[in-house]
Amino acid sequence: MARFTKNGTKVLEAHLTGDSIRCLTGSMVAYEGNVAFKKEGMGGGGGFKSAMKRKLTGESLSMMEASGNGVVYLANNATEIEIVELQNETLSVESSALLALERSLRTDVAFAGLRGASSGQGLFTTTVSGQGECAILSDGPMIALEVSPAYPLVVDPDAFIAHRGQLKQSFVTGVSWKSILGQDGGEPYSLRFDGSGVVYIQPAER
Amino acid sequence: MTPTILNPNTLPYNDNVNPYAFCVDLSQPWFMRKGAMIAYYGTANFEALGVTNLASMVAARFSSPLYANDWVVVSGQGKVVIGDRGYDINSYDIDAGNLTIKASNLLGFETGLELKQSIVPGFLTLIGTGKFLASSNGPVMFAEPPVRVDPEALLGWADCPSPSHHYDAGWMQGFLGAMGGMVLGLQSGEERQFDFTGEGTVLLQSSEEPRPDPAIARALESQLYGVDHAGLTRIQSVVQQRLMSQQP
Amino acid sequence: MPGYEKVNGKVVKADLSRGPVLARRGAMLFYTGQVSFRPAGGGMPGGMSGGMPGMGGLGAIAGMAGRALAGEHVAMMAAEGMGEVHYGFRGSNVTVIELQGELLQVEADRLLCHDANLQSSVVVLGSGGVRQAVRGAVSGQGLATTQISGMGSVAVLSHGGTFALPVGGGQVIGVDPQSYVAAQGNLTIDVGASLGWRDAVGKGSGEAIQLKVSGQGTVYVQASERKL
Repeated sequence: MARFTKNGTKVLEAHLTGDSIRCLTGSMVAYEGNVAFKKEGMGGGGGFKSAMKRKLTGESLSMMEASGNGVVYLANNATEIEIVELQNETLSVESSALLALERSLRTDVAFAGLRGASSGQGLFTTTVSGQGECAILSDGPMIALEVSPAYPLVVDPDAFIAHRGQLKQSFVTGVSWKSILGQDGGEPYSLRFDGSGVVYIQPAER
Repeated sequence: MTPTILNPNTLPYNDNVNPYAFCVDLSQPWFMRKGAMIAYYGTANFEALGVTNLASMVAARFSSPLYANDWVVVSGQGKVVIGDRGYDINSYDIDAGNLTIKASNLLGFETGLELKQSIVPGFLTLIGTGKFLASSNGPVMFAEPPVRVDPEALLGWADCPSPSHHYDAGWMQGFLGAMGGMVLGLQSGEERQFDFTGEGTVLLQSSEEPRPDPAIARALESQLYGVDHAGLTRIQSVVQQRLMSQQP
Repeated sequence: MPGYEKVNGKVVKADLSRGPVLARRGAMLFYTGQVSFRPAGGGMPGGMSGGMPGMGGLGAIAGMAGRALAGEHVAMMAAEGMGEVHYGFRGSNVTVIELQGELLQVEADRLLCHDANLQSSVVVLGSGGVRQAVRGAVSGQGLATTQISGMGSVAVLSHGGTFALPVGGGQVIGVDPQSYVAAQGNLTIDVGASLGWRDAVGKGSGEAIQLKVSGQGTVYVQASERKL
């Protein structure tokens, strides 16, 4: 069973013993041993239907497979890494924030609601489900915020990483405070979460 | 699983959540830089400075027309989490004092403080008593005068007089003499330093690649009215040199 | 005796009473005390330098200037006196490496500063070195490697910090050239290609180049593919 450990906070070590993991294309910085890398084609990962969905929705999840015997060192742009263990549940995550996952987990695309028409972001996020470990990226140490019926949460979409639990996501528009003109192309909307669960954010804007 | 799950009751009260994020309690209004908010609980009203009910308070506290567009006033009930580009965020308390800080690194401040524009372009001065939040690329370092500082490492200063420019003669001699005046790599800016003297504290950071501050260009533009034809031609050639040297 | 004091992840402080320090231009953040700075003749491509460099002379400075214009070489400044200088560069992370007589190879654009008493030479494109092979593949990379040896301290730059991988026992470690920072010890760095490598590190580069490190020593890798 592939094992994830961290070497510091920005490097993920995947220990392979004759098995494989899926990881973000281009995220390998070093490796030892006999490891082969293969980019996922249409049939890889979440299955054909999922790959088709991605093609249609424009949601991109660019993954490769690392297999063999050895250690693979994964990192991405010096961002922090969090190892998340899923116990037969679903984690919804920004696809650009998914670094690696065990084979026992399944990925899919979920419709996330209508965002602003001119938004550069897709209308979908990646879901990871099953039992096993995955590693997600956070620009700065990740912050976990609880959502409950007593306290819904509003989040800057550029800081949003992932959520789990029974949550309903909606959009808050018409906010004038979001960005300084010309500095970032951020859309003037934010994400609102109601229900029960946890939202993960990074202390930075994408 | 790390990290600890927080909620409005467990979030820190006007304190850091981690070195790169800060939680502000809205029990009183705060001035906040646009884009600084990354999450909030409760009912937070973010209002542009011209449009708020708190207009008279704003007018008394925020005297910087150059930057007014970049700020909002936040009021209501709840907790606001602030982050900035993954930079370190620290809160500072001013006690009947003054502090001048680089505008692009100031994220928020309590309404007990008054904000003015500094004579040094790109810097703002806070006066009075209250808390403010500033971000930095890496942890802030403090030094006491006398100290010489690279302009791009300067984050701000407290209590001591504004810095003066210092040109390192030995530095210049080595290059200009040999090159017959050709300015080689002077964009590093090391030849020009800020010189601090007096009693106070200087705030410094590693970053030598400052975040673009559109207000600096606006400030420079407004000063062009006093420049004559010869001066304008000279400025034009300097700008062209800078544009060329900035090409990747 | 440890060399530089690491003030934080991105800044080192050099106490010049230990001796003069050579640093890349643009690295000085602030200093206190009586410090004089001058361009360093050290680090001239193909030449060796040891001890405190002299004024350099017109030829050395002009030669260095020529290279600096071409973007091929990183100009260095020497600092000496009684004082302390803080060094850093564009918010990049700093790793301090202590040399006890062995060799350190570091890409010239990753070198922040080093004790002036260390021997250093620069290997540029066209005369071997790691970058020669990857030049065509990964554009915009630094084109020179600095070789440093002796007893003293060196501070190197990385995006996000480095992690150290020990190399030895006949093992070969594969490294993404864009993540490679430095190699300490008796190490050989070969350039190779392999099937699938392009997918592993192919973000934007589209090339299948990897570095193979073998020998006895330590290789420093950064947690990023970004150049500085």
